[in-house]
Amino acid sequence: MTIRSDPEENEIRTLLDLVDFSGKHVLEIGCGDGRLTWRYAEAAAHVTGIEPFEEAIRRANANQPDTLRDKVAFHHSAFEDFAAARESETFDVAILSWSL
Amino acid sequence: MVHALEEIRRLFKRNGVLVNILPAPEGYFIEVHHDGRILFAERKRETLSEDVLRAEAAIKQVLDRGLFVIDKKDEFDFRTYGSSVSEVRAYWEEQNAYEEEPKAKDVLAREEYLYAQVEEMLDELREGAEVAIHERVRIARLSAVK
Repeated sequence: MTIRSDPEENEIRTLLDLVDFSGKHVLEIGCGDGRLTWRYAEAAAHVTGIEPFEEAIRRANANQPDTLRDKVAFHHSAFEDFAAARESETFDVAILSWSL
Repeated sequence: MVHALEEIRRLFKRNGVLVNILPAPEGYFIEVHHDGRILFAERKRETLSEDVLRAEAAIKQVLDRGLFVIDKKDEFDFRTYGSSVSEVRAYWEEQNAYEEEPKAKDVLAREEYLYAQVEEMLDELREGAEVAIHERVRIARLSAVK
């Protein structure tokens, strides 16, 4: 058996109650292996996931559904480094996923 | 942490929304599930980690400075299931690989004690039994004030 995280989908249900992702540019900080990303990315315009743990990013890229390849970009980076190289006013939504 | 929140605010377009997901003060529990019932549930950690307390303090600081306002808050239960203690432990340790604070001796001892109890139960129950880490989680939506 493999690990099952939140099969009850409590997290995504609560998240979608709080945020409408339609057409939004999303930054997910601490995206891990994309576990949460896959659950909302379809609705968003684009998702940028960043994660300092290299193995998690490798898995996120490996597990990315084909339908989301143009929509989701993962970066192996600490947030401070990522932010320093970014222009202002880029994102509509940021998710701090257990990561502040 | 405050600098990270300032940077997030800088990266936002107009009407940017920040979603912050953090463990609730209840902490997390280790459970044994069998046939849709919870047969064992014990708190794995008594208090919030220093990392979470620092994150809370950073959020409070940016709220006090008027950089963000809280629009909405909620809580939910998050469970991670596995068929063995070793499987769940390995996953949990990987998920928390970047936790800065080393665990105190008494916390580690309690975890070992609980995992041993769960392992015993799983051995007795065998088919259909699962171990779960149950976290109570807080989620908040904050709007950036520009």
